[in-house]
Amino acid sequence: MTQLIELSGMTKSFGANKAVDNLSLTLMPGSVHALIGENGAGKSTVMKILAGVHQPDSGHIYKNGRQLVFNHPRQALDFGISTVFQELSLLPNLTIAENMFLGREPITSIGSVDYKKMNADSVNILAELGLGLDPNTLACALTIAERQFVEIAHGIKADADIFILDEPTAALNAADVDLLNRQIRRLKNAGKAIVYISHRMEEIFEICDRVTVMKDGRHVATHELSDITPDVLIALMVGRELDTLFPDRSEDHGAIRLDFKHFKLTATSKPLSFSVSAGEIVALAGLEGQGQREIIRSLIGQYQPSGGMIAVNGISLPLPVALNHGVRKLNALGAGFIPEDRKEEGLFLGLSIADNIGLSIHAQQKAFTLAKRLSDVINRTIQKLNVKSTGSSAHVNSLSGGNQQKVLLGRYLATDADVLIIEEPTRGVDIGAKAEIYKILRSLAAQGKAILVLSRETVELIGLCDRIYVVHDQTIVAQMPAAQATEHKILDVALSQSVHGKE
Amino acid sequence: MRMLGTLSRSFKNSRQGLWFVPLIVIVIALVALTAYTDDFATGQNLNNLLSQAMPLIIVAIGQMTVVLLGGMDLSVGSVISLTTAILALDAPPLALIPAVFLAATMIGFINGFSIVTLNVHPIIATLSLQFIVVGIARLLRPVAGGSVPDAVVSIVTGSFAGIPLSIFWAMIIVTLGWKIIHGSRYGLHLFAIGGGVSSGQGNAARHSGLADKRNIILAYIFSALFAALAGVFIAGRIASGDPGVGDSFTLDSVTAVAIGGTQLSGGVGSLHGTLFGAILMVLLANGMNLANLSAFLQGAMKGTILVIVVALQSRKKMGL
Repeated sequence: MTQLIELSGMTKSFGANKAVDNLSLTLMPGSVHALIGENGAGKSTVMKILAGVHQPDSGHIYKNGRQLVFNHPRQALDFGISTVFQELSLLPNLTIAENMFLGREPITSIGSVDYKKMNADSVNILAELGLGLDPNTLACALTIAERQFVEIAHGIKADADIFILDEPTAALNAADVDLLNRQIRRLKNAGKAIVYISHRMEEIFEICDRVTVMKDGRHVATHELSDITPDVLIALMVGRELDTLFPDRSEDHGAIRLDFKHFKLTATSKPLSFSVSAGEIVALAGLEGQGQREIIRSLIGQYQPSGGMIAVNGISLPLPVALNHGVRKLNALGAGFIPEDRKEEGLFLGLSIADNIGLSIHAQQKAFTLAKRLSDVINRTIQKLNVKSTGSSAHVNSLSGGNQQKVLLGRYLATDADVLIIEEPTRGVDIGAKAEIYKILRSLAAQGKAILVLSRETVELIGLCDRIYVVHDQTIVAQMPAAQATEHKILDVALSQSVHGKE
Repeated sequence: MRMLGTLSRSFKNSRQGLWFVPLIVIVIALVALTAYTDDFATGQNLNNLLSQAMPLIIVAIGQMTVVLLGGMDLSVGSVISLTTAILALDAPPLALIPAVFLAATMIGFINGFSIVTLNVHPIIATLSLQFIVVGIARLLRPVAGGSVPDAVVSIVTGSFAGIPLSIFWAMIIVTLGWKIIHGSRYGLHLFAIGGGVSSGQGNAARHSGLADKRNIILAYIFSALFAALAGVFIAGRIASGDPGVGDSFTLDSVTAVAIGGTQLSGGVGSLHGTLFGAILMVLLANGMNLANLSAFLQGAMKGTILVIVVALQSRKKMGL
């Protein structure tokens, strides 16, 4: 069989971070190629290069031996590469047919859009996929699975021979996954090449032919799936050394500060309980999208849990929390929430360091109290966290990622919060700042604060924390001391749950 | 109310907006006005109504092309004023008419250009240009006066075989508007771009290779051109130039578009809705005049109806 697409020497950096590093990959017609790796391994970036969203810094794409260059997603589709992105891209106010033909609508002799032809063609293409959808349905009326099918149909219409599916099953239920798998087999039998990005082992073994493992932007291995077992695959995905990044742990733990009891995220999820004590750093680990984020964000009212109790500093937090004052309510109980996306959700980039730190103190006062300058507290916080800047009046967007993260931490240190809930403590932060932040967090714990951490980087959780809870399918499936945890063990627990838990 | 609920459910998942809401109110108003006033259903009054409605319908169609994109054009009133001022200049009509549309094209282009290239918010971009255009209109004609060429007057107010010419013009212009908004690829792309803006999926339209910058500039040019057309109508009717005559049309056109079911956030709306919206506004003004309602109360009524009609048309209710 001859190769259809060949990527060679692909490299792409974002700032100082090499997302993809000298990767080569070949795709065969009539085969499903799985691309796996930990979060942040660069899978999505590779696919976005293939889809024309990102342009590589170096490296080439060849199709049937001919080199392709594209600067625009439209061009990728013209070359026969169709992508179903994680974030779906149908326009909600257009019909299926209009979405499929957008920018390429057939016109009648008087220049109107030829809806007759467009709808008829759409029906045919949808029928090819075995779908009986009405092409006049607006995209907003479709289920997520149907939207994905429409995007696949879009690719078929463009006569694509390469289909890229980026975690297509992340939002699907079991029945829809089945339907999708049937579509994938259909494409495969029609001689198309399919790239399938997924975290779910059982799916990969069910429908893929070959697998490529990526790690830190690099190619680790490519195997026929018939020659390999899930265990070997997991071992290939992990296996990074832990270095001296992390400070020593301490055994001194005090009273329980944050306590979840019989907490149920949705009506159908299994109840979970966990607690974080003073002096302790605890993590929620697991595969992406298993509910860790929702559990944490129930505290600020972004998700409405269906039941259970949460106590902060011994005072119970009435559930569900109202979204518009959830963060302040949490603050009043002595807990700080540090969101993952510090630029969008955390910091006011156009304001000074002082304003950003002082904010939580101001927020605790009544709306019309005169705002004090608070320079003492702010300067102390800046010193304690070693924020490198030109002074407390420097705008936050002039700081490096690491220093921005420290400012965000500082906001809650300034109010002397006892509990810190931190999503992705070191996202987009260079290695030096990472080590510094770990040290700060550990010293905060030593001062008696309770810290709950959520991170996509399992290594970080193992190195930083005292205890790790593994979350799967919206509940906690295992608990282990971080000192005994390994990436392999955590992945194993999470993945074995997904293999056995489904029956 | 229950009937309204059922009706609006059957219009769920349509991107045309709830255009039947103004239509229902129009029917109610027609019945009420015919029943309670003697002067409403006279030929004289209906003719009057049509000539009042025409300019608003025309501006509103133009306004709608930019509202579909999630934008707004606050310079349309000034374009109307400028048009009448130009037409009242002392020059042959064959020079004045092209000058009017050239000026409008330039104004539309500048609006669109500052929005897509200089990234100025549509309200600010068109508001600032409005000040400039009003200034130019006042420079040309400081106070109302002058005379518009006879040819323009007779095109607008004349009649053919006993039928007022304005009916023909109305049909032609509405057909033109329908062609642009519902009958062309361009119109579909307006909806696509607006839908991308309002749903936060702006990339989808761009990924599909729609040249959205060009499309947006073109929409503002259409808006200005339709305003100029409305200006020609008004100039023909008042037969003179007036640098303040367009003022009320700016917000009235936005009101008509909103009443007609076009969502100000973009991507949802229909030409017939806009048509009904404009007719409803003129009808109410006419009815309130006939009923001798004070001008202050008339404004209050307009405001109340706008907020009620628009509240009935939330995006959520339409499933979007």
